[in-house]
Amino acid sequence: MTIDITKIAEASAAAAAAIPPAWPLAATVAVNPWLGQTGEPLAMVAARMARAAGVAVTMERSWYAARIASGVITDDDLAAALAAAPSMPSGWRPENVAALKAAALTPSPAPRALPTVAELAAEATGVDWPSIIAERFGHFAAGWFDEGQALWAAPRGRSALAAWRAVATHDLTPELLGLGGFSARVAEAPDAASPLLAQAVAQLGLTPAAMTSVFHRALSTLGGWAQAARYRQWQAQLVGSDDGTITDFLAIRLLWEVALLDQLRPLVGTAWEATVAAHAVPLTPTPAQCIDAILQEAAERAGQRSLAARLAVDAPPAAEAPALQMAFCIDVRSEVFRRSLEAIDPRIQTLGFAGFFGLTAAHRRLGSDVAEHRLPVLLNPGFTSTAGNPEDVPANTARRLEVRVVRAWARFKLAAVSSFAFVEAAGPTYGLKLLRDALGIGGASPDQDPAPRPDPALDLPGRVRMTASILRAMSLTRGFAPLVMLAGHGANVVNNPHASALHCGACGGYTGDVNARLLATLLNDPQVRAGLSAEGIAVPETTLFLAALHDTTTDAVRLFDADAAGPAHHNQIARARQWLDAAGAIARSERAIRLPRATGGAQLVRRSTDWAETRPEWGLAGCQAFIAAPRARTAGRNLAGRAFLHDYVWRDDEGFGVLELILTAPVVVASWISLQYYGSCVAPELFGGGNKLLHNVVGGFGVVEGNGGALRTGLPWQSVHDGAGLAHEPLRLTVCVEAPIEAMTTILWRHPAVAALFDNRWLHLIALDDSGRMAWRYAGQSEWVPMESADAATPLAA
Amino acid sequence: MHELLVIGPPLLAIAAAIAGFAQPGRLARHTVGAIEALVLAGLVAAALAAVDLALHGPLLDTLVLHDAVSATMLLLVAFVGWVVVRFARTYLDGEARQGLFMAWLCATLGCVMLLVVAGHLLLFILAWIGTSLGLTRLLLFYAERPAARRAARKKFLVARAADLALLAATGLLVAAYRTADIAAINSAARAGEGGGLAVAGAALLALAALLKSAQFPTHGWLTEVMEAPTPVSALLHAGVINAGGYLLIRFADVMLLSPAALAGLVMVGGFTALFGGMVMLTQPAIKTSLAWSTIAQMGFMIMQCGLALFPLALLHIVAHSLYKAHAFLSSGGAVERIALFRRPGGVAIPGPRAVGRAFLVALLIYALIGAAVGFLGQSPQALALGAILIFGIAYLVAQGLAEAAPLALTRRLVTLSALASLGYFALHVAVTWITAGSLPPAPPPGPLEWVLLSVAVLSFGLVAVAQAMLPLWAGHPAAAAIRVHLSNGLYVNTLTDRLIGGWAIGNAQPTSRRVRS
Repeated sequence: MTIDITKIAEASAAAAAAIPPAWPLAATVAVNPWLGQTGEPLAMVAARMARAAGVAVTMERSWYAARIASGVITDDDLAAALAAAPSMPSGWRPENVAALKAAALTPSPAPRALPTVAELAAEATGVDWPSIIAERFGHFAAGWFDEGQALWAAPRGRSALAAWRAVATHDLTPELLGLGGFSARVAEAPDAASPLLAQAVAQLGLTPAAMTSVFHRALSTLGGWAQAARYRQWQAQLVGSDDGTITDFLAIRLLWEVALLDQLRPLVGTAWEATVAAHAVPLTPTPAQCIDAILQEAAERAGQRSLAARLAVDAPPAAEAPALQMAFCIDVRSEVFRRSLEAIDPRIQTLGFAGFFGLTAAHRRLGSDVAEHRLPVLLNPGFTSTAGNPEDVPANTARRLEVRVVRAWARFKLAAVSSFAFVEAAGPTYGLKLLRDALGIGGASPDQDPAPRPDPALDLPGRVRMTASILRAMSLTRGFAPLVMLAGHGANVVNNPHASALHCGACGGYTGDVNARLLATLLNDPQVRAGLSAEGIAVPETTLFLAALHDTTTDAVRLFDADAAGPAHHNQIARARQWLDAAGAIARSERAIRLPRATGGAQLVRRSTDWAETRPEWGLAGCQAFIAAPRARTAGRNLAGRAFLHDYVWRDDEGFGVLELILTAPVVVASWISLQYYGSCVAPELFGGGNKLLHNVVGGFGVVEGNGGALRTGLPWQSVHDGAGLAHEPLRLTVCVEAPIEAMTTILWRHPAVAALFDNRWLHLIALDDSGRMAWRYAGQSEWVPMESADAATPLAA
Repeated sequence: MHELLVIGPPLLAIAAAIAGFAQPGRLARHTVGAIEALVLAGLVAAALAAVDLALHGPLLDTLVLHDAVSATMLLLVAFVGWVVVRFARTYLDGEARQGLFMAWLCATLGCVMLLVVAGHLLLFILAWIGTSLGLTRLLLFYAERPAARRAARKKFLVARAADLALLAATGLLVAAYRTADIAAINSAARAGEGGGLAVAGAALLALAALLKSAQFPTHGWLTEVMEAPTPVSALLHAGVINAGGYLLIRFADVMLLSPAALAGLVMVGGFTALFGGMVMLTQPAIKTSLAWSTIAQMGFMIMQCGLALFPLALLHIVAHSLYKAHAFLSSGGAVERIALFRRPGGVAIPGPRAVGRAFLVALLIYALIGAAVGFLGQSPQALALGAILIFGIAYLVAQGLAEAAPLALTRRLVTLSALASLGYFALHVAVTWITAGSLPPAPPPGPLEWVLLSVAVLSFGLVAVAQAMLPLWAGHPAAAAIRVHLSNGLYVNTLTDRLIGGWAIGNAQPTSRRVRS
């Protein structure tokens, strides 16, 4: 039987789409591990992931049982989750709450993937072929993705497949381990993925119905390598192109399968035929998978109840005339700091907005040729920016020289013969470095780049258009304080391969200072102010915009006051500094309670320079809710650093353009973050970053555990677990929006991909009423139901 | 008092280990604090012992031997040990078997310190074996990982072979000298006593050292032990791996009795140095690259021993340990370092002319420093070694002389090269002076030694030139095949795995561990 080549291409594209992209660690962002499965509900994805990868998508039953026993999950939560459970193709669901509770006490069967030929071969011969393939593939892929670790770099080749063939035709390992003729087979194989896949499909006897599933299974065995390849495709597709790396990887992996099947057909042939047949059977969730999904929903409803209670607390009214307004990133870590800051003085007002502040800059640092995309990864850069002016050229040259000397020294250190000279000449000086780092003296020095500027410069109408739409999106168009600070954020850690995961996700895994400084400079420009005024946004002449950087590890705030020097605001800035210092101390004490071994706020500062610290901060662990509403709805309530807070005033949003932006951009980014934490908790073996104690940084772009094998993506175990228990409660995000439900329905209808997230409960959507209480729940397919807890839900009138 | 200061560091480490064993699970805050404090007290004692040595001269006890060599090693191991224990104290926080880890870490550390102060053969052997057993426990900290078991198995086989070689060697030495006192054996050997038994003993010592130092072809296990937490790698590469080199240096006088054994060391060590150095170039993972670097550095150190340059070998051990401990512990910064190095654009590649000029400049630096330090007093072996190191410096110079390098970069790199050269010649002089009473000088080379010296200088020179011109020839198709074979370490590990069934299920059954709570 021959299969149409386009059918094969479709199947491989579908399998590739099922793999989430993984960003390199130099600037990594959180990704929804089920990005390709958002069109399906949890139980269905449980069935799919079990078959393709042998991983679960929910917690173990004991986790839910403990919550039911302790009363965190109530019978009402269970009943509501049961009632809301989507009808499954199998038509099955537990009869009642009692049945559900009984099921929670029985362990769910461990998910088992359908076997690969390699696994069948291992069973038949006692040789661990899956691990051998993982090791060999990792050996190749590590070199192929290497961004500068090896001095003798692996040739990149025309494509991943060509590069692999150039390696595999010489590699003697498979033969030595018993797979005879492998390199000859590689040499004879076609050098393009498409004919190679067609050959593999024929030789593996794949049927059209089985193809996509077999391909997904094969890609899953590559772990993070497939995700790194998918990242290349993602980047290419973002600019309207495509990339074949992931298809090449699939072809390579299948070539191994074919080789093993050819060699061991008498032993594994029948079992493999049965496996292919099993792949062709349409997916249906098992009753156990349906129960798991319902229990997960119940846990989330329990979380929503506690959030509703927190929101229902009455809070003091907002101050009339603020002395300081400070905009923060929506990042959940800002919530603690904002609450601490507002508690200090009633004249302080804070706002929440995506930390890239609406500026999609491809930025070059001082002395750098690398354009860093400081924007959400869903977008393309809108303009380029550079650190410094023409008068900063000497500083630029000096920085380059400095780095080039260090780089030359590093190459000297790593080269074959010179490494001996290096050790004998400079080895003893490492005694001092050991002492310095053991005592945590120093740490990373803050970036001293001069102020960034758009390069080439933007024309005035463009700048006005840009700033006006940003201010509107921030719901900040009137009532400006004399000092308005724009705070980006970044972590402050050392010796941490995952440092960028702690930076700003909205800034593409970089710190947020560049975007904040760019916006502050734009808004301080008198020409722009005049233009804004014509647009109906009157910024008082006395108002100063000032960029800041919130250090999420130490809760210190750095002000870029030199960018906007002026004696007029000297006192206000000095007072703001005092407020920020005081707020930092409060925020640190609160965070210290959650961090293991933290004896108090001061100790948090020391952690940031400790090279042995695996938990310098909790990042976004704990994130549970996204609230788009005026700050008055959340101010004064302790949201425990678990909520993304986006300022939004629907009455100011004519045509609901801003609402559409919020639901399609920051909410989607927040869903990626929430689901990455979720995935790292429920399926750490595939979607978690592994054990930090074993991390081996590979090629400067990722980590493997120990000697090699699969690239590990997602959050390391230490980032979600404190040794005694999970630090992140794996709940899918609850999005609360204060806006008319019709407006939201319309927007979802216009954006089916976003609607799918809500329809399939990857996100929960709840409408708040005019007093900020949860009023309506989105039930999927454009349906809304009143909240169980709400006394009398009255829809907001548009 | 002197004895107490010398024996204090290992005893304190063992006390720290006992504290860990008493609480094998997660440790209370004060227990980890106490463990670090004990190890730190050991470091203080080691420092005081060194002062005591400087004031009162060496200690030659029945059990303990504390001279310039022991004192240097004790101070080194105590220092690195404290840094590693302090690191692990925070790093392992939250691990379910944190106490057990700290216990084995401190026990291994204690054994290494005991080894370097042992004056009696029996104590030496016990410490040697204890170190190895402790290390095996650490390597198997995650015993559920098949790759960890595979590496530990290889390491175990090589280590037991090394034990046998050491046992046989010490047996021969006791038979030859009728004493188990290491200082006495050395002084008798220095007087030319011992005969054939001692010569055979020296050969077995050389074998034990090669096995212990991960020399070709028994290096494989060292490249696979990243399966244990980072502090284990740091202690292994900065402390434990030095046991072989220390053995040779400790028995330097005995080793001089067997020119054949020394020649063997030069050949195996020199080959391993070049082989390991070239494999290292191809490794994209930081810890793996560091492991190959250790193999190469140990090879170089073994070669120095073979050339009878024992003081320089000691210097190499100290310098390498400090560097490698830091490199492993700070390996998490690799992402940021590589991102930093990408920012100023491409590397200026030196062309053949620039490489030629660089070697001339480097030789000029050598000549100038040599004239200053005094070439005439140096042994031919030391001069050859200096030449090899200068070939290494040439690579730094070449980067500065690359046609595309700006003048400012050239100036900075040439200055740096001169400083580096000055640095190690100064260190050479210093270490030779410090160890003058404890270690024998290199004997005048015979014909065999002259051949070895020439081959060594020539082959290191060739590799240095090839290295400097690497980007110019790495794209050639023939180079691609060489690269593949080298990146796999010439398949020595693969063959070993095949021999010992390393990939068999059962030995390597992947256990899916889902620890969640």
